[in-house]
Amino acid sequence: MSKRVLLHVGCPKTGTSYLQDVLFRNQSLLREHDILYAADRFDAHFLAALDLMTLPWGGLETEAVGEWDRLADQVRGWHGTAIISHEIFARATPAQVARALASLGDAEVHLVLSVRDLVRQIPAEWQENVKHRSHITYARFLQTIRDPARDSKIGSWFWAVQEVPDILDRWGTSLPADRVHLVTVPPPGSDRGELWRRFSRTFGLDDLPLDLTAERENPSLGVPETSLLRTINQRVTSILAPPDYRPLVRELLAHQTLSRGVASARLGLAPEDHAWAQEMSRSWVEVLAERGYDVAGSLDDLIGTDLGTFADPDTATADELLPPALDAISALLVEAARLRAVEERLHEELREAHEERDRARLTTSYRIRRKVVASLEDSAAGRGTLDAYRRVRRRGAG
Amino acid sequence: MTSAGPTAAESSARAHSWVAHLREGGTTPWLAWAGRPATETGRTGPLPGAQQLELLRRINVAAQLSAQSRGGNDGSSTRLADRVLAAPAAGRGKADLPLVGATAPGFGPRPVDPESVSAHELLRVASVVLADDLVALGADPVRTSWPRPWRRRFRLVGDPVLVGALREDLLARGRPEGGPRPFLVAVGAPLDDLLARTWTQRCFESGTKPWAEWLRFWRERDQLPARADLVASVRRWNARRPLVRIVTDLDQLPRQVGVRHLPDVRVPGADQAELARRVAAVVGLKVPAPERPALMRTLQRRIPDHGVAPVGVPTREREWVASSAERMTRSITRAGYSVVGDLADLAPRTAPSATTGTGADDQQVLDLAIRMVVDPSWRGAGQTEGQVER
Repeated sequence: MSKRVLLHVGCPKTGTSYLQDVLFRNQSLLREHDILYAADRFDAHFLAALDLMTLPWGGLETEAVGEWDRLADQVRGWHGTAIISHEIFARATPAQVARALASLGDAEVHLVLSVRDLVRQIPAEWQENVKHRSHITYARFLQTIRDPARDSKIGSWFWAVQEVPDILDRWGTSLPADRVHLVTVPPPGSDRGELWRRFSRTFGLDDLPLDLTAERENPSLGVPETSLLRTINQRVTSILAPPDYRPLVRELLAHQTLSRGVASARLGLAPEDHAWAQEMSRSWVEVLAERGYDVAGSLDDLIGTDLGTFADPDTATADELLPPALDAISALLVEAARLRAVEERLHEELREAHEERDRARLTTSYRIRRKVVASLEDSAAGRGTLDAYRRVRRRGAG
Repeated sequence: MTSAGPTAAESSARAHSWVAHLREGGTTPWLAWAGRPATETGRTGPLPGAQQLELLRRINVAAQLSAQSRGGNDGSSTRLADRVLAAPAAGRGKADLPLVGATAPGFGPRPVDPESVSAHELLRVASVVLADDLVALGADPVRTSWPRPWRRRFRLVGDPVLVGALREDLLARGRPEGGPRPFLVAVGAPLDDLLARTWTQRCFESGTKPWAEWLRFWRERDQLPARADLVASVRRWNARRPLVRIVTDLDQLPRQVGVRHLPDVRVPGADQAELARRVAAVVGLKVPAPERPALMRTLQRRIPDHGVAPVGVPTREREWVASSAERMTRSITRAGYSVVGDLADLAPRTAPSATTGTGADDQQVLDLAIRMVVDPSWRGAGQTEGQVER
């Protein structure tokens, strides 16, 4: 029986990909220290989350069948500390939370929620939408999430995974406050290792010689790059299926190409939206402080930085879009050339296989047999004879 | 001095008593529910969402009407109620919505009157209930008989609804597809019908985008989906020209596959296809991928038919469909394939009915889903026979 389960349920855009990658790559070492991160692929817990929440996800859900029960089973059977981590667990409904907690047996469950200020989360979530095929403008996105009705898919999803007090209401109600841990993302400009130190302390990973190399991150984009990607989406999302969009647009264009534009302006909030976000954050901080959770970092980190210069992605000019557009074209051409090489190699292999087959057919006996078969196939009686012959041969071979 | 509103505990008790009322088969809407003493409810814990509760209420309404007409109740309503209340709303839409007037935290989605929850939201829950039913039912066995040695060798491509049903029928009659040097029989139809049936069949396989989005996807690409493109289907099998038959006259189809007659095949209605599309997505989360096709074929055979017309191509897409049909006709002519019938029959139909009924609305689909939940006869034994033909 697992003694402790650390259940990390969100939020998106709080360094979760990096954490999960470190845990995944260091599984063996963690096991030696009685810590289980049960995953046979880096996104195993994402699949478990899809399964728990009955979430179709562009076809990926077919790989998720039974994943939650499998994960819970492994966790229940572990003698030490087990870690479960994926940010979309934040969206679980009360019924799903109850099922999840019940399936972890009588282990001591600790809830971990990593959180970041809305001032950064709002632009980051818009970028994430754009990286997931959306072509909603930034202005419309802000209007959508500010609508108290939350009627849209985007609005309901955003608040389900970003409204910290609500997530804690759903996940943390049945747990004592000292078993609910908030990890705040440090403000911009902080030491790069500070977030990891907060995670490490919360997950009890201090003093372990973990390989912390960043192999898998979810990089952010600059203003013109995001604007370009949104414009590309307008053209392609209706004609590019998700299995093609994922490798070509999200991976190749967004993550591998456009995210390199580190000199570009970073996306922020306009003055009025900034004030609104900070006001909401302050009300959250007040509530969270009263609840007495364990906090790694400071709740004040949730207020966000002061207003900076705002570059509006909806009004990016053609001149601003040109450099990333040229980068995108270059990347796509290089990828097309690579795929052409793959295609050429496959054609070559196919040609060789055909040649081999044709050489085998050049023998006189093959040609005679082929002729007999062809003439028999022309009549019903002949086809019956052939069938009987093949059946007898199969029986002989068996 | 004004009277104080109900306390949180009173509101919560009222909500739980409404849940108990619904579990017992009640049909009173939430806003009309006066409540009952808390001691009678016996239930605590998180409340189901407004979607689940309203769906259950509408199921109860339908069950009452059905029980009146049948004169009885099968006694399994509480089990069904618990399943509905526990079913999540599939997909990335709204999470469980709180009830207006019940205890609600200061955070989270805005509370709603369950009666105002849209058919679309209720369908998200209903599709999970039906997917569970389908998985519990399991796949119907495939009917086969000994292959007849003298059968004509054939391979069927084209109209996916027709071809799928005929393939099954012929297999059951000892005439499986394939074999050495088969005739490649491409079953054509007016291209608008062919597209509609291709989408419909996809709904009964792995699910797909909504009809309008799917059609737009192909129009913007100016391509035809693989199974609606007869020339591409023929080329995919690398068939030699003398062995290819493009069939547009269905009366002559039986001869092409070596039989005297073939069953009529029903094209699922727009409501059936849309419901199947939603169920397929959930079934994909419930069973390993190789098991889904057989389950969805089972649903296709058993889904009740209430006479709703199949989806049709909307007017805005007809120009593209017409030009695609012309292009396909030219390609077939150039390739020199034998045509059984008339290639002019590939042109989209111009009947006004085809331009109006473009798909089912959510309410129609929800009605079908509720009927299937309330009346489990589609899951009974003996439902497979005669479902393909009509």
